[in-house]
Amino acid sequence: MPLMLPTVIRNFFGGYATRLYPFKDVREPFVRARGHIEFDENKCILCGNCARRCPAAAIEINKEKNELVFNAAHCIICEVCAEACNKDAIRVEPKWRAPFYSKPVEVHHPKGKEKAS
Amino acid sequence: MAPRTVAPFGPQHPVLPEPIQLKITYEDEKVVDVVPAIGYGHRGIEKACELNEYPKNIYLCERICGICSCIHGISYCEVVERLWPIDVPPRAKYLRTIWSEMSRTHSHLLWLGLLADAFGFESMFMQFWRIREKVLDLLEMTTGQRVTQSISVVGGVRRDIDDEQKKKCIEVLREVRKESEALINVLANDYTVKARTVGKGVLTKEQAIALGCTGPHLRASGVKEDCRMQGLQAYGDLGFEPIVEKDGDCYARTLVRCRELLQAIDLQLEAFSKMPEGEIAVRPKGNPPANEAVYRAEQPRGEVFYYAKGNGTRNLERLRVRTPTYANIPSLLVMLPGCELPDVPVIVLSIDPCISCTER
Repeated sequence: MPLMLPTVIRNFFGGYATRLYPFKDVREPFVRARGHIEFDENKCILCGNCARRCPAAAIEINKEKNELVFNAAHCIICEVCAEACNKDAIRVEPKWRAPFYSKPVEVHHPKGKEKAS
Repeated sequence: MAPRTVAPFGPQHPVLPEPIQLKITYEDEKVVDVVPAIGYGHRGIEKACELNEYPKNIYLCERICGICSCIHGISYCEVVERLWPIDVPPRAKYLRTIWSEMSRTHSHLLWLGLLADAFGFESMFMQFWRIREKVLDLLEMTTGQRVTQSISVVGGVRRDIDDEQKKKCIEVLREVRKESEALINVLANDYTVKARTVGKGVLTKEQAIALGCTGPHLRASGVKEDCRMQGLQAYGDLGFEPIVEKDGDCYARTLVRCRELLQAIDLQLEAFSKMPEGEIAVRPKGNPPANEAVYRAEQPRGEVFYYAKGNGTRNLERLRVRTPTYANIPSLLVMLPGCELPDVPVIVLSIDPCISCTER
């Protein structure tokens, strides 16, 4: 008990160790945190670098339909696609996605190629 | 003679969230026999690694275990680099060492909390996990993720630690060291803690060697053996000396991990002060050649062994991983018989079992 006493006193007067969530907001994510990825349809040229390197096979490219299908529930936010993209069309945002009830599938129709031509 | 009763410890048990079953035979309150059963969480990761292209396996290997994920990723990269072989830039070696030791710090803090929880010391559990949160924040700040850091690539690392982050890391690590010391002082000297750990689950030096134990479990029985003694990564420059205790009981295993926790923080601080400038990665040329390589690394739980065989294509022909808990489970068959039933959780936890590692 004598050993514990300083810790007990410190904890008693030391204030909260946790955030009082509903009254205080959660801390902001770190600048370089990997929260989720976002696609820029204006820059993407459907080259397929991201889909080939994605370890979780979360990105599908369909050049005939001019479609990029992103399966957010499969994404492990490793940032490999963003590193592989030559056109800077994939951005890693530090904020986390909100929890979802159904698996969201994003379908993008990139316009980068039209712009380039 | 009291009748013998067989009771299952797991695969779902409050003290151990991971699925391992121990069939415990006991007389009165005394354990007389133990039969472990594993295989509840097999995911076939080794086979999946053969089907994936080699750079994608880094993220799969990291998911072998949630606590030592960083070291799994680094070990996979190191073994694949040995197939060429590739020489990693010195700064990348230091960064790998820093992140390895950071994950050891948070793993030991997690274990110390779980140990306190196993013998009912709830407030101590919360205190250790409160400190651990600071280390996880450091990992998130420097790597981008709390748990699966995905920081290593074949040929180096993906991110650098800049001066501002370095300053913050040093500041927080000093804080963590100070707070940990205060808690360890209580944990190591409290008589209730000693009553639950001293003389429980004794494993002698000879038994530990004969059963092939690894890691802090082996060092607590007086064997000076640590994979970091190979001097790989930056450990050769940091003057690393393994921590050894002689008694081989639960208390010795606790002390080894307490001292290793402080040592891991010191190693990080030293690595930060000695870290050279320069490149953080080199690009591997072509596919892994037809070659074989092995790599041994010290995880928080003991030695992890990686074997890789390349065949000149982008896929590996074989990847084999041996994890520390698999080597430490046989020692339970020696430690548990003869102990009291309430001591079973503490003794099982003292080997720091990680079942998701074991079953892959």
